Amino acid sequence: MLAMRDKSKESNSEFHLEDDAIDHQDFQLESPEAPSSSDEARPQSELYLPVGNPEAPQDDQQLEIQGFEKPVYNLQIDGIAEPLAFHYANNLLESLEAQGVQLPYQCREGYCGGCRTDLVEGKVAYLQEPMAWINEGEILPCCCVPKTALKLKLKG
Amino acid sequence: MAYQTFNRNTFDTFSQPMFFGEHVNVSRYDTQKYKIFEQLIEKQLSFFWRPEEVDLSTDRKDFANLPEHEKHIFLSNLKYQTLLDSIQGRSPNVALLPIVSLPELETWIETWSFSETIHSRSYTHIIRNVISDPAAVFDDIVSNEYITKRAESVTKYYDDLIESVTYYQNLGEGKHEINGKIVEISLRDLKRKLYLTVASVNVLEAIRFYVSFACSFAFAERAKMEGNAKIIKLIARDEALHLTGTQHMLQIWAMGKDDPEMGEITKECRDDVIEIFREAAEQEKEWAEYLFKDGSMIGLNKDILCQYVEYITNQRLAAVGLDSIFTTKQNPLPWINAWLVSDNVQVAPQEAEISSYLVGAIDSALSLEDFSDIEL
Repeated sequence: MLAMRDKSKESNSEFHLEDDAIDHQDFQLESPEAPSSSDEARPQSELYLPVGNPEAPQDDQQLEIQGFEKPVYNLQIDGIAEPLAFHYANNLLESLEAQGVQLPYQCREGYCGGCRTDLVEGKVAYLQEPMAWINEGEILPCCCVPKTALKLKLKG
Repeated sequence: MAYQTFNRNTFDTFSQPMFFGEHVNVSRYDTQKYKIFEQLIEKQLSFFWRPEEVDLSTDRKDFANLPEHEKHIFLSNLKYQTLLDSIQGRSPNVALLPIVSLPELETWIETWSFSETIHSRSYTHIIRNVISDPAAVFDDIVSNEYITKRAESVTKYYDDLIESVTYYQNLGEGKHEINGKIVEISLRDLKRKLYLTVASVNVLEAIRFYVSFACSFAFAERAKMEGNAKIIKLIARDEALHLTGTQHMLQIWAMGKDDPEMGEITKECRDDVIEIFREAAEQEKEWAEYLFKDGSMIGLNKDILCQYVEYITNQRLAAVGLDSIFTTKQNPLPWINAWLVSDNVQVAPQEAEISSYLVGAIDSALSLEDFSDIEL
């Protein structure tokens, strides 16, 4: 024990705290000059909304889609005549947007409830447990995919 | 039933309602009546950010170059946001913690309120960065009649609840003479006050905040005050979560299983709640008039903002199961969604400062030649 204490004393004395002068500042007082052209770095360009068309992955050169068949589910929306279908998209919201249907949205991951939509007929599966409150007969398209053909009614 | 910081009674947590049951004792989260509040806490913690992470040096220059009427719009909007978060940074704690009965809900209220204090700190960060005399802005919040008028309507439900709960916890139910005034306290009435308070908080977070966000993002749509917009984006992400929290409370009450009396109160107060929504919408329209009194800005004027107020009010009414009160069905500011998207807000400094940080970070183009110098 004694020997150990002596050792620690020795090693302590090797620090020269007071002699060490700080001869540099590694921080800047002024923030660096920001780029003057604001067009290049628009914050909107930082949004990572799906690039390309999520319902047409064949357009994306980087995706190899040969050899897998995904089922197609027909979608019918109250007040919209065109035939719509869910095929490749990651979730129902992306699919609808890709086909020109505008839904309100905010978080796109199930906690804000912004995209609440009435499910008239059909079944959906949730990819993650939605945190937002969902009333009976409502779905959150941002975090679900169809299990059957769907009939939907948009809010508002 | 005076408030106890550590309730010595033994009781079954699961049989407690959200509010006005036993006072909480052990902050335990192993068993939960409503796991949603625990999920909200975890989500909120994962959102943690600090205002200082956002660089505002460009905003200072932008602000100096704004025309006077746009400076008025920007600063008034910021003052209003400061007021709202000053209220939200303390009121849920003061009003709700003395009456809460579930540990997970208690912790959610604290976490919720704490995140509002970050918002308050970020307004100081913004104001300090864009103008040389921050005191003038802060001082005006308590003296400007347009702002104080709104403060009154967002705080009256809180204050009313806090006052009655104090009497209830000191004196219990019944008629009491307090400073020569007869005050009647009943638990049923307290629950009604609680319901209206949470409903008005829901309106504050669902409508009032979003109207102010629209103004902040309208500047950024024109590539002005973008640092500010980045901060507001982070605030909007938090507010979406808080909104979900109050919507859950309201809907749990509406089902009547948590506290049958609250189920009845939900039905009784239906018209009052619609009135709270309507009053808030009207006040936001008046506010729009004040904001644009000296002139509009490109992309946003009084009429468009008023339409947005109507649109968002209808949306929020639908979310709590109520019918629309306005005819506006289309979002007059469709670009706001892109600003409100929050699954991709980058907060780490190395990501937030340089927008090109991630772009081109991975070169995914490969050819066979790239492997030519590899031997197995």
